[in-house]
This record gives sequence, C-alpha cells and structure tokens, in this order.
Amino acid sequence: MRYILCGLLLMTIAGSSCHKKVLDIEPKDLLSSDLAFSTPEKIEAATIAAYDGLQNAGFLSGRALIYVDLLAEDILDRNGFFTDLPRYNLLANSGIAANVWTAGYNAIAKANRAIAGITANSSKLTPAKASALIAECKFVRAVANFYLVNFFAQPYNFTADASHAGIPLITESFTFNDPGANKPRASVGEIYTSVISDLTVALADLPVTYSGYPDNVYHTKTRGTKAAASSLLSRVYLYKGDYANAGKYALDVIKGTYGSFALNAAVNGAFGAGNYQTNETVWSIPNNVDDNPNTNNALPQHYSPAGKADLMISPTFLNIATNKYFAADDKRRTLIISGTGALSSLSFTTKYTEVATRGDWAPIIRYAEVLLNYAEAQARTASGVDADAVAKLNIVRDRARASEPAYTTGSFANKDELIAAVLGERRIELAFEGHRFWDLMRVKASVTNKFDGDGVSLLPTQPFGAQKNIFPIPQLEIDKSKKVLQQNPGYE
Amino acid sequence: MRKFLMSLWCSLLLLSGDVLAQTRTLTGKITDSNGNPVPNASVFVKGTRVGTVTNTDGGYSLNVPVDARTLVVSSVNMHSEEIRIGVATDYSLIMKSLDTNMEEVVVVGYSTIAKRSLTGSVSKVSGSAVSNKPVLSFDQALTGKAAGVQVNTSSGLIGDNVIIRIRGGASVSSGSNPLIVMDGVPLTQGDIGPNYNPSNALAELNPNDIESIEILKDASAASIYGSRGSAGVILITTKKGKAGQSNLNYDSYVGFNEPTRKMKVLNATDYIATVNKLRTNASLPLAANYGDLNGDGKADTVNTDWQEELFRKGLVQNHNLAVSGGSQKATYFASLNYNDVQSYIEATAQQRASARLNLASKITDWLQVGVNTQYSRMKTNNLGSGTGNFFAAIPYGPLMAMPNIPVYGPDGQYYPGVGGNSATLSYSIPNPEAVTHWNYEDRDAHRFIGSAFGEIQLIKGLKFKSQVNVDHSNSITDAYWNKEIGDGLGSGLRQTIYTEANTWSWFNTLNYLRQIGANHELNVLAGSEYTRRTSSYIYNYGSGIKDPDFLLIDKANYVEVGTQNGIGGIDDGLASYFGSVNYAFRKKYLATFNFRADGDSRFGENKRWGYFPSGSVAWRLTEEDFMRPLAYVKDMKLRASYGVSGNSEIGYFPSISTFEAGNYADISILTLSNPGNSALRWERHKQFDIGIDAVLWKNTSFTLEYYNRKTIDLILNNPVLATLGFPNNTIKDNVGVLRSRGIEFTVGTPVVHRKNFLWDVSFNFAWNQTKVISTNLFGDDLYDNNDGTATFSIARPGEALGVFYLMRWAGVNPANGLPTYIDINGNQKQYDRISNANVWTMVKDGSATTAIGATDRVVLKGKTPYPKFYGGFMQTFNYLSFDASIDLQYAFGFYIYNQTKSYLMNYSNVRNKSDDVLDAWSKAGDNTDVPRLLWGDNFWATQASTRWLEKGDFVRIRNVQVGYTMPKTITSRLKVSRIRFYVQAGNVYTFTGYSGIDPEANSVGNTNIGLGIDKMRPYLPRTYTMGVNLGL
Repeated sequence: MRYILCGLLLMTIAGSSCHKKVLDIEPKDLLSSDLAFSTPEKIEAATIAAYDGLQNAGFLSGRALIYVDLLAEDILDRNGFFTDLPRYNLLANSGIAANVWTAGYNAIAKANRAIAGITANSSKLTPAKASALIAECKFVRAVANFYLVNFFAQPYNFTADASHAGIPLITESFTFNDPGANKPRASVGEIYTSVISDLTVALADLPVTYSGYPDNVYHTKTRGTKAAASSLLSRVYLYKGDYANAGKYALDVIKGTYGSFALNAAVNGAFGAGNYQTNETVWSIPNNVDDNPNTNNALPQHYSPAGKADLMISPTFLNIATNKYFAADDKRRTLIISGTGALSSLSFTTKYTEVATRGDWAPIIRYAEVLLNYAEAQARTASGVDADAVAKLNIVRDRARASEPAYTTGSFANKDELIAAVLGERRIELAFEGHRFWDLMRVKASVTNKFDGDGVSLLPTQPFGAQKNIFPIPQLEIDKSKKVLQQNPGYE
Repeated sequence: MRKFLMSLWCSLLLLSGDVLAQTRTLTGKITDSNGNPVPNASVFVKGTRVGTVTNTDGGYSLNVPVDARTLVVSSVNMHSEEIRIGVATDYSLIMKSLDTNMEEVVVVGYSTIAKRSLTGSVSKVSGSAVSNKPVLSFDQALTGKAAGVQVNTSSGLIGDNVIIRIRGGASVSSGSNPLIVMDGVPLTQGDIGPNYNPSNALAELNPNDIESIEILKDASAASIYGSRGSAGVILITTKKGKAGQSNLNYDSYVGFNEPTRKMKVLNATDYIATVNKLRTNASLPLAANYGDLNGDGKADTVNTDWQEELFRKGLVQNHNLAVSGGSQKATYFASLNYNDVQSYIEATAQQRASARLNLASKITDWLQVGVNTQYSRMKTNNLGSGTGNFFAAIPYGPLMAMPNIPVYGPDGQYYPGVGGNSATLSYSIPNPEAVTHWNYEDRDAHRFIGSAFGEIQLIKGLKFKSQVNVDHSNSITDAYWNKEIGDGLGSGLRQTIYTEANTWSWFNTLNYLRQIGANHELNVLAGSEYTRRTSSYIYNYGSGIKDPDFLLIDKANYVEVGTQNGIGGIDDGLASYFGSVNYAFRKKYLATFNFRADGDSRFGENKRWGYFPSGSVAWRLTEEDFMRPLAYVKDMKLRASYGVSGNSEIGYFPSISTFEAGNYADISILTLSNPGNSALRWERHKQFDIGIDAVLWKNTSFTLEYYNRKTIDLILNNPVLATLGFPNNTIKDNVGVLRSRGIEFTVGTPVVHRKNFLWDVSFNFAWNQTKVISTNLFGDDLYDNNDGTATFSIARPGEALGVFYLMRWAGVNPANGLPTYIDINGNQKQYDRISNANVWTMVKDGSATTAIGATDRVVLKGKTPYPKFYGGFMQTFNYLSFDASIDLQYAFGFYIYNQTKSYLMNYSNVRNKSDDVLDAWSKAGDNTDVPRLLWGDNFWATQASTRWLEKGDFVRIRNVQVGYTMPKTITSRLKVSRIRFYVQAGNVYTFTGYSGIDPEANSVGNTNIGLGIDKMRPYLPRTYTMGVNLGL
C-alpha cells in the first residue's frame, strides 16, 4: 500500500508539471499587441505596415493601376480575366470591387492604428520622429482615400459642390467590433478636404530624404517624402479642378525644393530592374521576389507577353487617327512589342518585364507626371498660350520625339490647343500607369473608340457621369452595415 | 515474422508451463447450446497459471494440482463458467453464448461497459463494415452505417475531404468534425494537405486493423471528452490478440475504378455550330472552326472527348496479412497492409503500406502492460493544378477544353494551340492532358500512432491505469509546374513543403467496480489527461526553372529560390480532469453522471477553464415483473440524458490580440494579425436525448431516439465591416445560438433464418433540423468564411443553418427567349442584351425597369445543403456456402448549388459548354430553361440565382458483394481454416435527379454554412474488385 501511495504521489507531481506545460503556451510566431509599440524600432515597423496595406495584391501593388486603364480605351482584357469590368458591367458582389475596398480600408486602418500607437507611446520617440511617423501615416491614409473615392464615387466635378456620395471617412483606430466604424458615406468634397489636409500635414512633417538606413534611397523612393506629398497634392488639386494649387505644388517639386528630380535619358529609364530608384521616380510601391502580388495579380504577369499576357494594347492607342499626338516615330513606340506564336499579331507594353520574379515596382508618382501636372495647370490658369507650360511639356515630349519639330508657343493657336496637347502627351507618357480613365473623367470627357476584349467589336461610347463608371460598394459591406452604406445607383 | 512469432509463442508457453510435482489429469468437452464443439476455449484452474485451450473438437486434457478446486472456462462471445472440481476426472460443459447484441461490450471513452448498462447514445459499427472495402480511407466506409452519422465524400479526388457530421452541423464557424480517438490516442484528422490538394489524415490508417468503431452521440456519452465532445466522438478500437486463438488471415482484392459519371459537353460539330451561332446572333464574326493541323492547307476534322482522354480504368489492389494469438498471459496482434489505388484520373494515385503491432501482457495477477502501435507510409500522386475553376484544373480543363482540337499535334507532342478557333475570346485553357502529365503534386507521408499502458489492480475492484499516447505524422509534398505549360506562369515552379504534426497525451484513470449485495452495482471512474499538440512546416520554392532535368531546388537551377518555415496552425495544450459514476440498482435502474474540466492554452487566462457535466438515467423494463408475460420483448430499455459539451476547434490563439512580422518589399514591418477578443469563452452545447433500445422476437433490435441540442456562445468568425481594417474582415466572437433537433431510428432484424438460408436486414434513419436562433448582436447574416466567393448560402436568425440565399430565376420567356427573374416584389423581369449592355423590361408589358440585383435575393426557406433525412439500408444473405450483401445509402430533402453547370453555360467565351445549350431557345413558343444563344450574355450564367440550385435527393448503391466460402472438406485438405472468394462493387449506381458532378459534391471543404456547392471537383469513382479471404 505504501508503494501505491508513493506511486500516486509521484503521478500527482508529474501531473502538475504536465498541467503547467500544456497550459503555459505562448505563440511563437506572434507578438502580443501590448508589445507592438514598445520600442522605437517596433513603432517604426508598425508605421511602415501602413504602406504594406497599400501594397495589397488587389490594390496599389499593381491591380488598382490596371483597373484605371481598363476602364479606359487603351488596353484590352484579352482573356476576359477581369470579368465585366472593361464593359462597365460589374455586379454588386464583384470580387474586384470588394478587394479594392478591403485593401484601401485596411491601409487606412493600419495608418490609424499606427497613429494611435505612436501617440500613446510618444515618450519613446523624439517629438520630431513622432511627428514624422505620424506624417507617414497621414500620407498613406490620403493615398488610400484618394484612390478609393475615385473608384467608388463619381468624380469631384460630378456635382457643382462635390456634395455627391463619396466613401466613409475613417480617421480613428478600432480595437474591437466598434459600431463607430459603421459610418455612412461622406461626400466627395469632404473626402477631398480630408485628403488635402492629411497631405498638407505630411508635406510639413515628412523628410526630404530618409537617412540612417543601409539603403536610404530605397526608403526615400518607397516611403512618403515631401516631394511625394507635394506631387500628390498637385494631382489631387488637378482632379478637383483647382489648377492654381495644382500648379503651385507641382512647381515646388520641379524647382527642386524637395530634392532633385529629372527624367532619365531613355524613355523607359524608370522601368525594369535596377531603374526604380532613379531621379525619375518620385514615389513607387515596391515589389520584390519574396513580396509581390503573385502570378495572378502582378503587373508583368498581366501585361507582358512572356507572362499571362491578359492585357494587350488597343489599336485605338496605336493608331494615330485615334491617338493623334502619338507620332509614328515616337520613341515610346519602342516600348511596344508583339507577342510570339498565337499572340504575334497583338501588341503589348514592355513597361513591366519582371515576369519570373514579379518584382516590378508599381509607379505611383513619376516625375513626368509632375511636369505634366504643372504644364496642364499652368496652361489652364494662364490667359494665353503659356510659355512655361510649353517648356515643361517639351521636357517630357522631347525625350521621345524623333522627326517631329519641338513645340513652341507658336505651335498652338490658343490655350485650348495647348491643354489638348498636354492631355494627349499625358495619355502617351503615363499610359498603363493607372491614369487614363480618371484623366478623362476629371475633364468630363467620354470614353470613345473602346474595343471589347477581342480587339474587334467596338463598345458604345461611355459618357462622363455614367452610373457604372464607378465600382459598386461591395454588397457584403452594405449587408454588414445594415444599409448604413448606400449602394451606387445602377448596382442596387 | 514467423520466427519472431514462434519465439514469442514459445516464451509464452514457458511462462505458463510451471511444472508441479503433484498433479492429476482432467479431461472434458466444451460445447455450445447447439451441441457444436467450442474450440480454443480456455480452461484454467482458478487463481493459478495452470490451464490449456480446447482442441477443434472442443476437447481438453489438463494436468491440475491435486488441491485444485475450481476450473474457469471462457471463450469469445460466451459467458464464462466455473466448474467445481470434485473427484471425477471428466468435466464437460455447455457454454451459453452472448448472442443478443444487448450483451455486447461497448467502449465509452476511458472504460467499457456492457451495452445493457449503457445510459447514453452510442452507435457501434463492427470492423467488418470498413475492412476490405474499396475506399480511400475507412471513414468513407462508415457512410450510411449508423443513424445520425452523415459521412460525405466531397469528390473523387484522391485525399479529398470526408465530412463527418454527427447529428447535423454543430457550429457555424468553428469545427463540426467529431473527435476521433483510436485506442485512447486522439488522432490528427481532417485535411492535412499543405498545398493545392487536400489530404485526408485518416487515409493513413489501415481499415483492416479496426475491430470496432463506437460513435458517441449524446452529451452523456460525449461529455467525458468535455471540450472536444460537442460534435460527437468516434472511438476506434483496433484488433487485439485473443487468448488461445492463433490466427493468420490474408485478405486481398484487386480491381479497377472508373468515374461514376461524365457530364455531357458538346462534341466538335455541336461546339462549332453553337459557338458560331452565339457569334452570328450577336452580329459578330465566327469564332470556331476546325484548324489546319498538318499544314496541308485544309482544315482537319477532329473530335476530342477530353474526359475520355483523361480518364482511365485505374487499378486498385489491397493486400492485408494479419496474425494474432496469445495465452491467458499475453496476446498479440500484428498486421501488414499494402493498399494501392490508381485513380481513374490519369497520373493520380494513393499508395499506403502499414504495419501494426498490438501486444498485451499480464505480468502478474495485478499488473497488465501493453502497447498498441501502427506505422504507415502513404504516397500520393495528385493534380499539379488542383481542382476548382483554375484553367488547368480537373475537371475544369477537360470539361471546358475545345472539342475540335487534338490531344497531340502532328509532331506527336501535346498540341498547344487552339486549331481554327479564335484564341483571343477568353479561352486560356492549357491542353488538359499536358498539364495533368507535366504538372504534379506528390506527397510522401509517414505516420506513427502508438500508445503504451500499464494497469494495476490496487485492491479488488479498483484499477489504476496509466497510458501515454503519441500521434506523429510528417510529410513531404513536392509540387511541380512545368515551365512550358505551368499555370500560365510560363517559367516553371517547384515547391516542396515538409509538414509535421505531433500529439502527445498522457492519461491516468482510477476505476472502481463494485457489486454491493445483489442489488447495487457501482462503476466509478476518475482521471486526468494532458494533451499537447504541435505542428510545423518548412516551405521551399524555386521559380524560373533553367534545366528541367535537375530536380532539386537550388540557386543554380532556378531564377529565384525562397524558403519559409512556420507553425502549421496548431500549437496548444489541454489539461483535463474528469470523473464518472455509473450506478445500477437491480440491473434495472441505471444512472450515469459524468464531469470534465478542461483548461485550454488558447483561451485568455480568465476564460481558460470549461466545465462540462452530464447526467443520464435508464430503466430496463424487461427486468420488471410486469413485462414477463410479454415474451416477445427480450430486452427493453428507456433512457434519457442531458449534458454539456464544448467545441475546441477554435483555431490558433483566437483570443489574444497579436501582431506579426511582415514585409513591405525589402522593409520589415509589424502588422496586426488578430484583433483578439480576451472575453472569448468556450462554445457550449447543451443536449437533451431520450431513447428506447429494445430486442424483440428473435433478435430484432431497434433503437429510437430524439434529441434536442442547443449550441450557445457560438464562436464565430464574425464578419465585420472592412472599415474596421481587421485581417480578413472578421473578429472572433462568442455570439449566436444554434438548435438541432432530430430523430434517429435503427432496426436490425434476421428476416429469414432457415437452415441453409439467412437474410439479415439493417436499416437506419435520421431526421435532423438545425436552425440558427441568433447570430451576433445585430442579428447579422453570416456567410461562409472558408471561401469568400461561396456566398450562396447564409446563417440567418430564424432560418435553417446554411439556407440558400439567392435571386429567383423564373425561366426563359417562351415568346422571346430572354432570361427572366422574379424581383423582391414578385415582378417578373427579363433582360435583353443590346450594345453590350443588359436592358431590363417587365415581362408582363415590356415596360423598362431596373435590373435584378443583390436586393432581390431571398432566403429559400428550408432549402439547405443539409439533408432533412438520411441513412442507410444494409442487407446480407447467406445461402449454403454463398453470401451476398448490398448496402444502400440515401439522403433526401437537400439542395446543391450546381456551379459546375453555370461555368459550362457561359455565352461569352469559346470554352466548351454543357450539351444543355443544345436546348437553347431558338423560336417563339420554345419552352426551355436555356436562353437564346447570344454572344456576350453571361449575366444569367454567372449571376448566382436559383437557376443553378437543384434538388440533391439520392439513393446510392454503395456496395454490393457476393462471396463463396469453400466447404470444410476442401479447406481441411488444404490445411487452412477458411477460404472465401468474392466480387465486390463500390458506388455502383446513384439514383438521383441531380445533373451536376455528384449530389454529395462539396467544394468548400470542412465548413458549416457553405456546404453543398458543386464547383468543379472530380466525379466519385465506381470500383469493381474481386478478392479472397484466407484464414489459417
């Protein structure tokens, strides 16, 4: 009996050690949220997470740029990969729309979460560092809001006072299923005001360049900088129709106030491995071999004939009759190649080539855009044909120009001709970089000469203000909001 | 092996062969009540090691000490008897058999109990129901075998999910899989495939090793497993050696399998005509034609049936060798198994080899020790591009590939082109033969399951048992995409994934069995159990293959290589303390009380412990005097139970708010991985069960029961607004209540038992209704969270779980061939496609109207993927030396969303189509369900609606078998005890009106809301085998 009792005692001791062993288990691959903002390094890592929100496979790592071009006339969805998006016929349960919405708000939430974390732990940082990090968060938030409002709401100029429905404006950080996140759609005007306000703070507090890293240039090209904030402000004002401010913020960048930028000598100088961190890049979303939007979402997979080759260049873009500023010997035509085999009769862009690694950076702000933003704003605000506008337009055009003569103020009969030339140049220079459809809409233009995916059937003209120029609010979100969110007309 | 067994046998003989000086010899013959000899019965002198076994004539001869007083005679399936030894030397005995199934012993968790004393709901399935069946895993063979146990094989894909639902769905977003325990070892189960293909963990077990399967269904039975018991518990007992019986069994079958169905798609002629008609009706150029393949300038006529090309008769074989035996002191069971299933889909197969050794030894009269072990290796060859709606997937590829292009080009290589068809009109399907042969995903898995136990008799009736358990599994998956055809990648990709899952557990029980006087029986159990589960993986990939002849992932041979390791989703521990009291008064009034406390590492410290009590009572009416006149009632028991169990399938640290490391390209980041919920607590299931078990007339047994189960504090992946910015737009919450009610009925009866002819029937029936009582605070609809695109069904308060939620299709307008729908207000609307836009009008007057959209969805009351009633019907026949069996499975009252068909009816691509399009409307007055052919109209095909919802009702002939056993005259001459030859067919035929892949099709995996979605997974196989059972 004594042995038995001893045995049982031993069992009990062994049992209690097992008890501890099976219950005290911490996750090895996760960090408790209490520790996420515990050191300056962790705070910065949690801040940069906001950019990672933008770098979502369905958003600014490439897809969002494709959507803006697919809605316009210059590229065609050869394989029907993007369902009815190019035909302006998405359904309310569209996965494309849902992914954009989710990614955008995820980036905004990451930014808001970091702002809350930085604010609560500001004692661990210098005041300058804290405000610089908050500026990065606001920069990201502005970028996400700007893209979201343009995807899901009619353009700023759809109503005279931009009072039409925009998107929910989220500026706080949530830690639980907070009813505070169930916000109705703010007006487009309110969203623009928020974007401009965030970018203004960002412009004040962001650095010109990042330093103290092993790869400072990498950080400078992929994180918010004064130049990026000022360039984006210029674009936002352009979309808003406030050309004076659009010109001002573009000129600050051009003047070199926020660092030196220039076009590279070659027309493709900002594209392809090794070229992403040149002076031509203002701000890009980086991808690399390990962190990229995978084979089904990456820019090179969709665009390159060596990849999935989903997106071919429309005859509308190639033909001078329908793209009149695209001279036959324009050097940018060298960026267009034919496919091989069954694709040999089709044209593709070579802006995105890293098919195997899917490492192409998504060019969000390129210096050429800043020049063209300025040229357009200046052309519009001047009373006649503005010489400075022509000069900046020439910087972009001359790089690609061959036999055509250079523009002078005399090339344009009036300022409208100059504006048309800037817009025409913008279509060619920024082609396949996510500008075209919105550049048409912000000036109330229609989409004409748009082909269906076969490159043969012509689609009807898509006018400014058409209901399905914008994406449906994801049906699931409307359902979850208990109809606090209102669907866009035409998608109910 | 034989040598080993011989030496084992000899040592056992030595142990028992104590030679005593003073002996005398007793002889006798043991017979059963029919006068037949009982061979292999053990005859022992009580309290000693002196004993022997009877020979084939039932006779024995035993030297016993002169002071021996009592002989104990025991045999399998017989009541043990004691004989007082007097002066005589001949002691013969007639043994009574344990013939009614009320005498069966049933395993109930940590102990066993006679079925007649059972107070809970337990179904027992014998091992013969799952052995030698042509299935990929034993769980598939459980289909239809037990009332209320629904076993659904998702598809014919090797390794695909087998969904087991005991009494319907038990949860909404947590697991609804039962706990599976084999010889006390909690098993790793479910899908353990790490890449594109699923892999069923239970396929790594040898079905022929199984002695019996007990399914614990009610709370009384299952709550001894506490937090893991809510979805029921399946207890597997493996075969053990029996004292005095030495056996060698060799079981083998060979055969082939083929697809049970082939969905009909257009042949080349109809394809060309249909596609061109679609185009011309829309005033577009033609898109389909035969191409010039051999370069002679003329179009070449080809007609390829891609399904026929890709399918084959796959060889199936199984070989199982088992030896068992033992003495009163030690028993052994050992088996070797080889199972090879070449799927009917070319290039896919599953091969398993396994070995088992079960040993038990009585060291002294108070100490018993033993081990139960199995090791297996399983290799699978599976689809490189998986299933579903990927262009290279099976059956998507063969169904959608153009029928007017060849498999091979004139150069003898796989034909890569599109013949004379238009390439640019949304085709993208690579040659299905090429992708299936050039791409692959192979898995090589090892599994060890073992336990070791010791049992000590402390005092009379009090036993202490301690058992340690291990379940270790690892696998290497090797997936390859050829660089030419890949997955549209065009550069080749190789992925290797090593996975490992470990479970160890240790339990200790004290079991006190006591008969107090004649009236009281007491069975008390107390115990503790500690369980630790871990998992991990290592992932390597290389993309951009330079030279395909070098197979290893190496920087030299790939443009890009990468590696990652991590946790495979499981890293947790469970500390448990439990107790059980079973009391019987005059064998008539029975009561059981169970209690278990579980602490789970994954919960917040304050919500960690869950307490799960249950109680049950039973009344054996047949022990009452007033029942005596009713002679036809041989046994009858009424029982009722109520209890609480929990659901531990809650995921990986669901309650802690956590961040994880990530990347913004080259920059490291820290990002929220789980918003967490520290208030999260156990999901609890309160179940009431009432039942009657009876044996009537000649062994007609029946069980009827009713249950009502309420699941509260459901742990939900609560879908939340995207504006919260939480990963996957969900948060884990305790919200929602679910109620399941049901009736189960089982009857087994010997219909005919004549001298030469036996006919036995077993039938089971289950009716179940699972209703969502509430969801979250807002009463929101919940969607399936396994597959974000599977939004066809929902969980909505007041509705049945998984009810379909769709727009209503209203057929094709016979006047104009336009598709019509019913809007939310009951108006019938149609649309025409004009200038690439859908133009909506009212059917009644042609006036313009708004489009049908998401707001027109309605809950389709009562239409769910869960059958209203289901079960099985088994019959066995014996005539002279012949035997036959036929097993049916049935399910009624459920619906399937036929997404496969919707893909095959798309009017805006040049992929092949279902031959249903031949019924398309073509002229006024045509009554059809297929709209007019018009290129570009894909709204009716892609928009989810009741157009694609079909009744799933089916009756399936699951298994048919005819056998012949060689007469004794021949077998004795061959020196074997039994030879049986048989032929068998599995999944013979399914009677159903369902037009998709299969009425059991499930593409979402192990889920609760989104079951019943038929989305391009392979057909089930039909298998024909012939086999032999040989016994020595």
